[in-house]
Amino acid sequence: MKMPKRRVRPITVPTTSMGDIAFLLIIFFMVCSDFVKESNVKWTKATAPDVHKIEKSRISVAIDKDGEIYLQGRRLPDPDALEAGVAALMQLRSGPDAKLIMFKCDRGVDKSVFEPVIGAIAEAGGTIVAVGEKEEKQ
Amino acid sequence: MRSFGRQREQRETTVPMDSISDIAFLLIIFFILATSIQRFAGFHAEIPAAERAQETEKTEKMPSVILRGGALMLNDEPVDMPQLRAGLLALQLPSKPEGQRVVVVETSGSVPYQTYFEVMSAISNAGGIMGILSEEEGAKK
Repeated sequence: MKMPKRRVRPITVPTTSMGDIAFLLIIFFMVCSDFVKESNVKWTKATAPDVHKIEKSRISVAIDKDGEIYLQGRRLPDPDALEAGVAALMQLRSGPDAKLIMFKCDRGVDKSVFEPVIGAIAEAGGTIVAVGEKEEKQ
Repeated sequence: MRSFGRQREQRETTVPMDSISDIAFLLIIFFILATSIQRFAGFHAEIPAAERAQETEKTEKMPSVILRGGALMLNDEPVDMPQLRAGLLALQLPSKPEGQRVVVVETSGSVPYQTYFEVMSAISNAGGIMGILSEEEGAKK
């Protein structure tokens, strides 16, 4: 008996809207993303039992393990330059978190380095948000 | 005379769209790699500027934390970190007016940030405002 030949249908994956989906994803990432500014700063977090989750603020000051001071990921020569820089950045921002300064400091840095930096932030009128880690109970 | 009535040849124009999705996905990969999705832990530390600190100084005797090298003292009494936390909480600072919430932190010698961070977090957790007094300068910041 002669069997009727099965018709082979071409299989196509619809890719017409692929570009649209991809661009929607790009827009999502562009709106939601916050670029890593301080990937060059090497620091070990200080620990304490009383820390809690905090919102990330836009202005960031960091001190690395060698005692170098960074504002928004850029190295600064001294705390005086920091005070002017923080004040200028605060003026550019508005809203309730405009004065919040994220402060990251390596746990081994001495007070002769970090105290003038804390003083400079206070003089500029900023509120310090000290970043650390919750102490694990042993 | 040339005839202008001759119909112009119509060419079909197409924009090449084949590689658009590839470009878009490359951009997505870039954004995923360059974006930070870190969650931070810490605390808010209220530290008044020098002018405000000097105004506060006029009011009354404030509680003080002394960090001298490895030693830690609360109101001139040697304490360890849990005792400091308990002592600061016992002061019930949140119920007091702003001027009386200041805790003076006096440092001298070598103090690592780890110790300072613990003191700051204890003061912040107790609802205090930090006033910094450095021995070298002898003046409030």
